[in-house]
Amino acid sequence: MRYWLAALVLLIATVAYAELPTHEVGVTWSRGAPQVSFSAMDLADERVRRELSTGLRKRLVVTVGSHLEGSGWRMAMRQFGCAVTLDLWDDDYLVRIGNHTQRLKTLDDVLNRCLAVEGLFAGEPKSYERQKGREMYFVVKAEFNPISQRQCSELIRPTSGGDSVAPLTANIVRRQICRAERTIEFRSQIVRVPQ
Amino acid sequence: MSRFERKILFAIGLSVFLALGGSIFLARGALHEVYLVGVNERFGAELVHGVEARRGQLMALRAGSEQAADAVEWAVEAELAKRGRTSNLEPLLKQLLGRYDLVQAIRVVDETGAAVASALREADPTDPPMRTTTRDREVETGTQSLRIGVEVAVPEAYFERLQEAGAAADVYSRLQRESASVSDVYVWVFGIMVFLVIVVAFLIGAIVSRRVTRRVTALAEASRRVGAGDLTVTLPTGATDEVAELTQAFNDMVRDLSDSRARIEYLQRISAWQDFARRLAHEIKNPLTPIQLAAQELDETYGGADDAYRKKLRHARAIIEEEVATLRRLVGEFSAFAKLPSADLSPSDLCDLSQSIEDSVPAILEDVGDGTPAPVEVRVSCATEPLRVRMDPMMLKRGVDNLLRNAIQAVYEAHPSGGGRVYVRAYGTNTSGFIEVRDNGPGIATENWERVFDPYYTSKAEGTGLGLAIVKKVVLEHGGEVRLDRAPEGGARFSIELPLMDPR
Repeated sequence: MRYWLAALVLLIATVAYAELPTHEVGVTWSRGAPQVSFSAMDLADERVRRELSTGLRKRLVVTVGSHLEGSGWRMAMRQFGCAVTLDLWDDDYLVRIGNHTQRLKTLDDVLNRCLAVEGLFAGEPKSYERQKGREMYFVVKAEFNPISQRQCSELIRPTSGGDSVAPLTANIVRRQICRAERTIEFRSQIVRVPQ
Repeated sequence: MSRFERKILFAIGLSVFLALGGSIFLARGALHEVYLVGVNERFGAELVHGVEARRGQLMALRAGSEQAADAVEWAVEAELAKRGRTSNLEPLLKQLLGRYDLVQAIRVVDETGAAVASALREADPTDPPMRTTTRDREVETGTQSLRIGVEVAVPEAYFERLQEAGAAADVYSRLQRESASVSDVYVWVFGIMVFLVIVVAFLIGAIVSRRVTRRVTALAEASRRVGAGDLTVTLPTGATDEVAELTQAFNDMVRDLSDSRARIEYLQRISAWQDFARRLAHEIKNPLTPIQLAAQELDETYGGADDAYRKKLRHARAIIEEEVATLRRLVGEFSAFAKLPSADLSPSDLCDLSQSIEDSVPAILEDVGDGTPAPVEVRVSCATEPLRVRMDPMMLKRGVDNLLRNAIQAVYEAHPSGGGRVYVRAYGTNTSGFIEVRDNGPGIATENWERVFDPYYTSKAEGTGLGLAIVKKVVLEHGGEVRLDRAPEGGARFSIELPLMDPR
């Protein structure tokens, strides 16, 4: 039974990541954890740039996952996001990352800050401790303007009646409505977890 | 699973799938329409217009603030140019502050950053949070270079409202874009729920139908057993539905079949016994007269002087004559049994029969009492309503006479000096007429109840065992039943049941 399950997982992982394009991702190891550097600037096509200049708050979210080669099992995941708003009062961009807000003059500065990733830790050292010497790769997903889970839950609420199906339906609808307006995804070259 | 069960399940499944499949089809169309009513292009466009309007408002405020700042700066610059000195600018600054609402503060500083003059709008703690920015302009006053800073502000809420409107428009445009797939989600969820309902309905249907089909299958199996000749089959009826009624009808039919078969078998057996009795009577009857004559002749023609021998001859003759008489009586009864005719049925009233029985009571009492009426109380009664049945009055009277005679004999033997009682009662129920003969005699042992109607079975010393067999034959030929049980008085009770011609 376990072998069948493992085979099923392998098959799903193979199918899921087989079609991803491969981009070069810089990887350095520091204290047992990888630091990755890459650019997801391809996300910012003409429409994305236009949307970022409307004065409305938009989000850029980058997710990096590290996977074992072969099984595709995800060892660690790291995500960070920028909330970008063109300040119509001062004509510069307000970029909020976590609790920190900074002002950037141009859109290119914003894209560089949010999509050109330099030395991002992809997970904790303990996630890699048991995988030493094994081959792995990173999967990068960059999304433009996914609606956050919290905001999405606030916007699309199930009706307050006694209908037990409503939460389920609302959840599925949320997944569809709140997904990113544009997404790019790629995987890295294969690297080896150092001994 | 039987074919019948499969068919029922198929019918349940088909009807459920058709009904609920149709409802999914209709729900899909209805949901799509409802969704389009709620999420349509016009509302979306209005939301986008709302966002644009708020943005336009902010841009207009920004332009207004810039114009106010410019106006303030020009006014200060003009005043400085007119005066040629920087002192006592505050009244002008306050005047300008009062003129332009968007301006929050005006500061004039020299090239070292030292304040030359300033005017601030007094802050009201109840004012909403404001977003401020400062528009700077450098002016030359001949000898010095000054910087005029005009701080303009708009309520922070304007920006927040723009973001809220933008978020709402964003979600709405997504709902609009995904209109087909969102309504499909609802249809899918509805479909899954319907599928679950179908599965539950199917399972319940299977359980219920299995209960029905199991009973029908049992009925079919029982029918096969009956067809193979097993008439002991009885099925439990249980519920109160049509299948239970069918089962009850089946049980009634099997019971009727069993009764009919028992009746036919009994009549066949009686017929065989009649044939046997006829031959036996014929074979025994013929030599009886020569035997008797021979014994008489031996006795009468002896001419010897041996008195002892003569005495023996006379004794032997007496024995032979007595036994021949007994044999003649038996032959007579066998012969009567053999010649018993089939019943000739015609409409009659059981009360008429009971009347004729009552008429024959004195003769029977006298016969049983060997010439003097036996001291037995006999009561004959009948229902007030007519009890019309199809019967042969002569044959049936003969049968009831037999029962009455047996009862009188039994109670007479038990109570030779009086106290014996025999009751003959004719009565009816909704479907049957009854004649009952019961007594307060010793009764019949329970273990013999099954055998008393068999020919030649008797418990009496001089009985032939034909009386009750004749009764049963007669009753069976009437389509009735004769039963034996214990009378309330303690003796035997024989009940003859005949079907009424006009059931009530």
